[in-house]
Amino acid sequence: MTENLFITEETIEGDDDGPLAGQTVAVKDNISTEGVRTTCGSEMLSEYVPPYDATVVSRLKEAGATIVGKANMDEFGMGTTTETSAFGPTENPAAPGYVPGGSSGGSAAAVAAGEADLALGSDTGGSIRCPAAFCGVVGIKPTYGLVSRYGLVAYGNSLEQIGPFADSVEDAAALLDVIAGEDERDATTQEPPHDSGTRAAEHSSYADAATGDVDGLSIGVPTELLEGADEGVVETFWDTIGDLEDRGATYHEVSLPSVEHAVEAYYVIAMSEASSNLARFDGVRYGNSGGYDGNWNEAFSKAREEGFGDEVKRRILLGTYALSAGYHDKYYKKAQDARAWVKQDFDEALEEADVLASPTMPVPPFELGEGLEDPLQMYLADANTVPVNLADLPAISVPAGETDGLPVGLQLVGPAFGEKQLIEAASALA
Amino acid sequence: MNVIALQLANQRTARPVLALECERDVHRSESDPTRNSVPLRFTLPAPNQGAMTAQTVQQGDLVTVVGLEVHVQLETDTKIFCGCSTEQTDEPNENVCPVCLGLPGALPVLNEGAVEAAVKIGKAIDADIPEETRFHRKNYYYPDLPKNFQITQYDEPICADGELEVSVEGTRRSVTIERAHLEEDPGSLQHVGGGIDTADYTLVDYNRAGTPLMEIVTAPDFRSPDEVRAFLAELEEVLEYLGIFDAERDGSLRIDANLSIIPEAEIDGDNADEISADALEAANRTEVKNISSHKGAQKALAYEETRQKNAIQRGRAVEQETRHWDEARGITVSMRSKEEEKDYRYFEEADLPPLRVSDWKEEIAIPELPSARRERFGDEYGLDEEAASKLTSTKQVADFYEDVAGEFDPDLAATWVADNLLGELNYRDIEITEIEGRLEEVKRLVALVDEDEITAKNARETVLRSMLDDGRTPDEVVAEEGLGKTSGDEVRQAVVEAIDENQGAVEDYESGDDGAINFLVGQVMQKTGGSADPSDVNQLLRAELED
Repeated sequence: MTENLFITEETIEGDDDGPLAGQTVAVKDNISTEGVRTTCGSEMLSEYVPPYDATVVSRLKEAGATIVGKANMDEFGMGTTTETSAFGPTENPAAPGYVPGGSSGGSAAAVAAGEADLALGSDTGGSIRCPAAFCGVVGIKPTYGLVSRYGLVAYGNSLEQIGPFADSVEDAAALLDVIAGEDERDATTQEPPHDSGTRAAEHSSYADAATGDVDGLSIGVPTELLEGADEGVVETFWDTIGDLEDRGATYHEVSLPSVEHAVEAYYVIAMSEASSNLARFDGVRYGNSGGYDGNWNEAFSKAREEGFGDEVKRRILLGTYALSAGYHDKYYKKAQDARAWVKQDFDEALEEADVLASPTMPVPPFELGEGLEDPLQMYLADANTVPVNLADLPAISVPAGETDGLPVGLQLVGPAFGEKQLIEAASALA
Repeated sequence: MNVIALQLANQRTARPVLALECERDVHRSESDPTRNSVPLRFTLPAPNQGAMTAQTVQQGDLVTVVGLEVHVQLETDTKIFCGCSTEQTDEPNENVCPVCLGLPGALPVLNEGAVEAAVKIGKAIDADIPEETRFHRKNYYYPDLPKNFQITQYDEPICADGELEVSVEGTRRSVTIERAHLEEDPGSLQHVGGGIDTADYTLVDYNRAGTPLMEIVTAPDFRSPDEVRAFLAELEEVLEYLGIFDAERDGSLRIDANLSIIPEAEIDGDNADEISADALEAANRTEVKNISSHKGAQKALAYEETRQKNAIQRGRAVEQETRHWDEARGITVSMRSKEEEKDYRYFEEADLPPLRVSDWKEEIAIPELPSARRERFGDEYGLDEEAASKLTSTKQVADFYEDVAGEFDPDLAATWVADNLLGELNYRDIEITEIEGRLEEVKRLVALVDEDEITAKNARETVLRSMLDDGRTPDEVVAEEGLGKTSGDEVRQAVVEAIDENQGAVEDYESGDDGAINFLVGQVMQKTGGSADPSDVNQLLRAELED
């Protein structure tokens, strides 16, 4: 295997039977596995072996799944290409020479390469949907609070969710059935309301909702999410909408004026939270801790200087700055205001539509090494995915075709806990 | 899991390995401000150069102003954000889990018992309790802090604007409690091979990490170290009454005190409690840390008050600084030369959704508090203030008193509980809680006195003391020491005998030497083995001799 899919290849056997018996699962390396190192793609945690399982891992084991390895990822989830991993980049199995997207690039690529039937990733600002789109597989970012984050090493904890990858929407939905639901160890989780008043709510499981029925489906297309997108991507997008129309769906354009601030707001919030979440990695219990002369702060500083990569340092520094006295109101607080506005825009648009559709990524996959030099350009590639995290909503990325031989993903966004409706609609495509 | 070592430089050089001068408190990290190693550091302007000196104010016109930050460990079975026990153990890192160790991926879940305890405090101090309570992260780096941030409450504390009445030298005063909020305790550090600045290495113990803490912040309402002591004693009493605090627990109370000396002229004549913000701003203050008891607070602040007044008297400015109370030496020492204000970058803790507590204040009951109980003891049992105060000093004492007073005369009960029992316990340095299982025996002793079975003197001096010293029951002591009060006939017989056998003394008495009666009393007491009541004997003798 040449793609560098896994940071650690290790088989973790689940129970003998269960809904996922006989299925293999790749687990992103920021999800804690008892006894198997969990590096987050960072030198800092290259030797960290968790003494406990994440809730989703316990649920996988109980469902009979076999975990086949800890998938490569951008360091601490900070990246759009999986190139910031301290363990080297992963190559896109669906487009050799190109990145698999990120940050859950290893997970998406493992499914695309057939090295795992299913995979788990995490999505803070698009980290499931982006690699799903780039690798031509299905990825679901659940509603904030649907899936337990207990054991997921935090990057932006108010934004992120663990979610499934699979070749088909139905298989991804079956994995969601296993991992979703309230967890007493994560106070932000809740049971989804029984009848959310949305389409497909009557199905007893997520997998059952994968009927492919789009007859009468009302699709809203936010015009802002098409602006500035690659022409080939936009063309593929409209072809797919046309395909859904042929099967009984209708579409109308909607406007989400707030999304022009979403990328800025997202990065301020995610980086601020990251600056706090990653503070514990100070060389005392993780990373290189020995031999520094000087006071504690100097020792911490040295351990962090050696243990973190450039992108992680950049985000920690910017996040620290955004939370600092005198800047807090100007950045962090303003970003929270923008977040509330984005939420409101989505809620309003979803009153007039069952789902909102856009290209998952405004661009096709980057060539390996192409984007590392310009972080800002990379951040802007998240324009269509980050607003969804700000709004806490569920979204799915489903393969929509190709442009110049490169995979293109369609993103569908639904109302809070409207996963069944997304699954029903997306299963018309994959 | 075992001890986790901080593997920092371990050579002994002239330069300190660790640049910390002393033990830290729970919420502030200090560092050597002359170094600049951490990426972001924020410093406030240098100390107030215009601070008061002897040139501007005469000694004698000065007033002491003190405000407190009190950290109280709440008595809950489990930690504030995980299910680990809060019990203190000798083995380090025993009561820990991924959550309180701050392992990557672990999430806090709020222990509602801690919130309940906080609401009880809120009710006791008549504070405002918000509709819902939320948590924030306070970000700073310190090796005892598992996550390098502390989960605490920032702009929405669980209690705001409360007050506590204290009695200082007979005057009742109300102290404003600006806020009281919940937070998690960090772990603790153990320096090996030397002090904090000379240690070979430092060990971290996370047993304490996650113990629920309440930080109680007062207004600068205190005018003397005595007031501070009275307040803290009252606070401890209230917390113990609420059943949420164990004063015996090591580190259960930790106090930071801010002390300033300001000109008396700045105090508003009409309202002695109010001091203008400008006056406080103009005076440099010192923050005294490492105080762990109300007695310690009084000593530390008396020292600090004198130190500052002396400085002003000698024309020196008082430095705005943090000082460390060295209990053993009885002095405060400077922790850093310049006050450095940290930027804690507070922001909301998204892992803990807001908890609605709007109904809790009604739903949660609190017991009668010491001040109310004191007042009631006066009304109901006719006790004077001193006795009522003594008998409400702890909930256990007050409960026991009410138990005894319910069965016997309230005055007799007061004498026995407040004077005899507490007196003997104090002498032995025993708390009433330590003899909880034997309080029934104490009641039996009171019954023996009440029923005139033994003399009050024997009961107090012999029976109670042997009960406490050799663990015998009152009935055993009475039987074994032959203290049962002799019957009237026996005493009368002894009186007759004594008169017969001591005619010399009888003659002396009859010729007007009243003191001779004492000799005869002694003789009777000897015959009855000390079990007769001396005043009864005295009367019997006189009556017999009259005849």
